[in-house]
Amino acid sequence: MEQFWNITFQLLEGFKENCILFGVTLLVALPLGLLISMGSMSKILPIKAFCRTVVWIIRGTPLMLQLFVVYYIPPLLTDGSFKFSDRLSAAIIAFVINYAAYFSEIYRGGIESIPKGQYEAGYVLGMKKSQIFFKVVLLQVVKRIVAPMSNEIITLVKDTSLARVIAVGEILKNAEQFTKQGLIWPLFYTGAFFLIFCGVLTLLFRFIERRLDYYKG
Amino acid sequence: MAFLEVQNIQKSFGKTEVLKNIGFSLEKGEVLAIIGSSGSGKTTLLRCINFLETPQHGVISVGGEVLFDADDPSKIKEKEIRKNRLHFGMVFQQFNLFPQYTVFDNLVLAPKLLAKEKLKENGAYFGATSYKNAVAAIEAEAAQLLKKVGLTEKSDEYPCNLSGGQQQRVAIARALALHPDVLCFDEPTSALDPELTGEVLNVIKGLKSSDSTMVVVTHEISFAHDVADKVIFMADGVIEEEGTPQQVIENPKSPRTQAFLSRFNQYSD
Repeated sequence: MEQFWNITFQLLEGFKENCILFGVTLLVALPLGLLISMGSMSKILPIKAFCRTVVWIIRGTPLMLQLFVVYYIPPLLTDGSFKFSDRLSAAIIAFVINYAAYFSEIYRGGIESIPKGQYEAGYVLGMKKSQIFFKVVLLQVVKRIVAPMSNEIITLVKDTSLARVIAVGEILKNAEQFTKQGLIWPLFYTGAFFLIFCGVLTLLFRFIERRLDYYKG
Repeated sequence: MAFLEVQNIQKSFGKTEVLKNIGFSLEKGEVLAIIGSSGSGKTTLLRCINFLETPQHGVISVGGEVLFDADDPSKIKEKEIRKNRLHFGMVFQQFNLFPQYTVFDNLVLAPKLLAKEKLKENGAYFGATSYKNAVAAIEAEAAQLLKKVGLTEKSDEYPCNLSGGQQQRVAIARALALHPDVLCFDEPTSALDPELTGEVLNVIKGLKSSDSTMVVVTHEISFAHDVADKVIFMADGVIEEEGTPQQVIENPKSPRTQAFLSRFNQYSD
């Protein structure tokens, strides 16, 4: 029993890294994604082309490969003078870029699904573009993207374990160390941590969906 | 000079010329009905008047003030357009109410934003000099407008809980809340079931007074006949015929007007 609590505690140490990676990625990628989606819908062609190319590259290559690129390429380019002192920072950068690209497409889908008439109604009522966006369109977009966003955010929880490939001391890496001592169950036990985390998120998103259920359209 | 003057409006989408040198004028308090088959340019004309489309040529003025001149770049600036738009109100075919706001909030949202801006700019909004007073006036008027369109008891409902006819009546009240000089309707009953068109047309009829100028694009010929002071029949981007309802609807001179109207008369007694 003591061993169980011991191992739980050590796995929690690792899961802390997963949580930091999750939290920071979410915090930065959510606004960054909005910025990229604005770029993808921009009337200025070079900006639009740039943003869409970035999204294509990021969505078109594995996140695992992107982790390698972020961690190994800068030292190679600078002849070793720049090196990540902290592996978690490298993982955060890769995750932020990757998830911002996915979020941007969800935002774009949501924003483009709002009928043109909503904007026109705002215009003929003398509203400014920014007022139309924040007072009329935004909440409707939020309502429409809660479901795809929750999907993506739950995927993010589990993707954090990929940081293991650049040796971030996250929960799976911790668990693997026990296999060297002949203990295999901690590896499977990690699933419980993810399940609980995702369960809480699911409840949270259901709450948000209910809160936005007061109107249709 | 007439109250509303629309001159030489020309609008093309790509190579298709939708409006070919359209012009008309309207006196204060008059109701203009624009009829014509689909694709004749009626809706585009209305959208040009509301600055939702920018014509390549033409001049629009209200009360002697030039609001739009395609040859004057200073009039096409976004800020200028936004200000000038307030001379016009617009009621859409698809209502376009804001779904996340109650009926009441749909009415007061834009006026409140505008009041805040006007108070900052020149210290007054329709006589009110503080935001608190302005809001009180706006809310009192919104309640009055809802009474006018017969929807006082729906004040706290969301648009999704209203019938199409009720939604359109809210949209009319919402447009009126900004005191437009000219109120435009773009086929206000075309998206409604036949049994709901009556209530909307009655509301529009009830708005007719000496100081409300209206432009109505409609397929309701008998409504146009009964309510309008002036009727324009449009075909292929030009005004084919215009005049009083008696002239255009009862005794059309143009063969195209006659052909168009005969299709309506076919089924009516």
